[in-house]
Amino acid sequence: MFPRLHFAVCFTAVLGPTLVHTLCPDTADGYKVRLSIKTALGDDAYKWDESEMFLFRATLAFAMRKYNQKPYEVSDVLVCNETQRVSFWFVVTDPENTSELISGKDVERAVRISRNRINNAFLLTDETLEFLNIPPTLAVPAESGTPPWLIVFGVVIGVVGVGIIALLISSFIQKRRKKGVTEGEEEDCEEEACDKGNGVSHPVEEGADGVNRGFVGDIPFTKL
Amino acid sequence: PGEEYVSRRGPGPRPPLILCDPQKESLRMEKESRPSWEQPAQFVLACVSYAVGLGNVWRFPYLCQMHGGGGFLIPYLIMLVLEGVPLFYMELAVGQKMRLGSIGAWSAISPYLGGVGIASVVASIYLCLYYNVINAWSFWYLFHSFQEVLPWAECPLNSNHTGYLDECRKATATQYFFYRETLNITSAISDGGGVHVGQALCLLLAWMVVYLCIIRGIASTGKVVYFTATFPYLVLFVYLIRGLTLHGALNGLKYMFTPKLEQLANPTTWINAATQIFYSLGLGFGSLIAFASYNHHNNNFERQAIAVSLINSSTSIFACIVTFSIYGFKATLNYESCLERVKLLLLNTFSLAEDTINVDNITYWITELNKTHPNQFADLLPKLESCDLEAELDTAVEGTGLAFIVYTEAIKNMPLPQLWSVLYFFMLLLLGLGSMLGNVTAVTTPLRDLRFVTHYLSNETTNGLVCLFCLVLGLGFTTRSGNYWLTMFNDYGATFALLLIVLIEIISVCYIYGLEQFAKDIEDMIGHRPNWYWKIVWAIVSPLIIIMLFIFYIINYIMGGTPTYQAWDKDLGQSVTTPYPPYAQAFIILLLVSSIICIPLSALYTYCNRQRPESTISV
Repeated sequence: MFPRLHFAVCFTAVLGPTLVHTLCPDTADGYKVRLSIKTALGDDAYKWDESEMFLFRATLAFAMRKYNQKPYEVSDVLVCNETQRVSFWFVVTDPENTSELISGKDVERAVRISRNRINNAFLLTDETLEFLNIPPTLAVPAESGTPPWLIVFGVVIGVVGVGIIALLISSFIQKRRKKGVTEGEEEDCEEEACDKGNGVSHPVEEGADGVNRGFVGDIPFTKL
Repeated sequence: PGEEYVSRRGPGPRPPLILCDPQKESLRMEKESRPSWEQPAQFVLACVSYAVGLGNVWRFPYLCQMHGGGGFLIPYLIMLVLEGVPLFYMELAVGQKMRLGSIGAWSAISPYLGGVGIASVVASIYLCLYYNVINAWSFWYLFHSFQEVLPWAECPLNSNHTGYLDECRKATATQYFFYRETLNITSAISDGGGVHVGQALCLLLAWMVVYLCIIRGIASTGKVVYFTATFPYLVLFVYLIRGLTLHGALNGLKYMFTPKLEQLANPTTWINAATQIFYSLGLGFGSLIAFASYNHHNNNFERQAIAVSLINSSTSIFACIVTFSIYGFKATLNYESCLERVKLLLLNTFSLAEDTINVDNITYWITELNKTHPNQFADLLPKLESCDLEAELDTAVEGTGLAFIVYTEAIKNMPLPQLWSVLYFFMLLLLGLGSMLGNVTAVTTPLRDLRFVTHYLSNETTNGLVCLFCLVLGLGFTTRSGNYWLTMFNDYGATFALLLIVLIEIISVCYIYGLEQFAKDIEDMIGHRPNWYWKIVWAIVSPLIIIMLFIFYIINYIMGGTPTYQAWDKDLGQSVTTPYPPYAQAFIILLLVSSIICIPLSALYTYCNRQRPESTISV
């Protein structure tokens, strides 16, 4: 197997430039890739060089393999028009027939399926590793069973409800207690005791024997 | 004859002698039966809690921005002194003297003026109906802050997960969350839509909290205001520190404090200053009269009136500083994102290496590229944004837009946004709740003054019924078009009526009741007469200012043409100015007139009653 591979690589190395020249960029089946490494990683940014390009081609070959299980090789991914920005075009050739290009739609689907793996290989994200004209697959946010706000709401409304009921009950108890005490002793100036006319008025004190004690203290003063 | 009264138990302890003079007796009865504040501090805090509300946070900074930044403080403070403090003082004096809610108090001033009190109560009911819906929104946002990713930080995905929802992309994520998820707003006021269940639940909670705070009248309110009056200041202080340390905050503060003194020549500036002072202090609703009616007769309300008014205005200025640091942060953020986008555009079009352009040399590069690649640059021109920090700072927002959209946008960019969000909405909640306590007390106090209400219903029941009534009617504001009705109530429900109410109040106190008698009553209460300054302002200056505001309001309304509102267009992702349909315009007129009409109707009723021969003069 190895001699054959070696032969194949040599063959592609000879044929490579010519193939690239004819097939790439093919705007129908090729895609432009743009990397923003410094924006993504800042000081930890790595330099884009030949090895990184090799990794890219290998990752893309991996993505194609995942998609339709054909034995893609690194050599099947052709790259051209590299710029300083770090952007380039690529096309993918069919492993069985190297002059045929894989259609754009298939490439797109393959990239979308493995997008996360491709991004992670380069420590980049959908925004910093752009495949122009391939829409990103956005991660679905985790859906929880009960919306969390309902839980907090339930707790708060429960507490408030308990508070209201507690206050109502305590008022009710207080009133009943007051009512029991008032019957005998408490002054109730609103209704009967207080004479609105001029004169001395005492709060009505009724003892157990029902005698009006209001005038008790006045006995020494009343003269007949 | 004395012997009949000798007790069989022997002489007991001598009962206290109470002289029964009718006036003192009714006073004693009132002292006993009318509840009162446990501490004078509770009264002051209740007034502060009532006056310091959402308007201090979301209206004053807007006015400051519109009318020349720091320069706006000049008309604001002048109006505070000429209009705010004197009217506040007057309302407290009336309440404390009459010891009755607004209806009783104004009936006591003159029997024909009971309608002024009724108009106040109607205006308060309108306010109660919609103000608590804003508290419901605060609850909604507060509960939604307990999530790992704030729901207004990101747009939701569209159905095939390739991008974000259209409506959200065209607007911003915070706007989408407010208009679509919180309100689920329809595109016009005529489009009713059903009740938003989440909002209805939050409104129920809001009313339950209000009920809990007023359940026993001022016995409960007095305790709650210790918290509602003080905690917002703590949050504002924390936010001040946070705001000042944000990147770009100084841009906002510089913008605010550079006064544009030419704005002072604009009459609108003075009108807006007077209006803001007027509404910010909550005059005319009857809440101040209600609160003061529970005071002891000799409470020194003069000092308290000055203190509360000053506290209210200082809070507005304080909130302004916080808001402008947040504005500065947001504007700088937007400006820098704009520059980033321009840089990216240039890099991508001309395929330059990433580190060639940065924010400092972007202008150099624009001119360079224009020279070296003129054709390509010309194609690029329509997409090239112009980034302007001043323009970002100039976008002035007020009202719910400021509180729920601009602030949330700034919060989501802060580190640890959940904490800041919770703090912020809790503060909004307390501010709104504090004002609600005053509003509801303005309705329950006159109710409790009615003897048949006190006789048949307990305190808790009356308060509960008022809350239930407002809750049921308030559910109308939780429908999908509810926000439009809320804005209508906010703009027309109380604004006009209050001007008229306070004008009649001040004129009747000065000229019908008599300034001399009023001064004597004040001397009776606090020990000294109000000095010449107060008398001049009450008799001349304040009524003139209010008449001016009144005329200006009428002119504005007539010249404004068809009243319009901001309808949310979900296809465009922004608000569109739409005229009100005819039935809504009729409803506006109904709102404007309904509270005011009580005044002449009530005067007429009293007059007719008095004409009847068998009527007894009731005092």
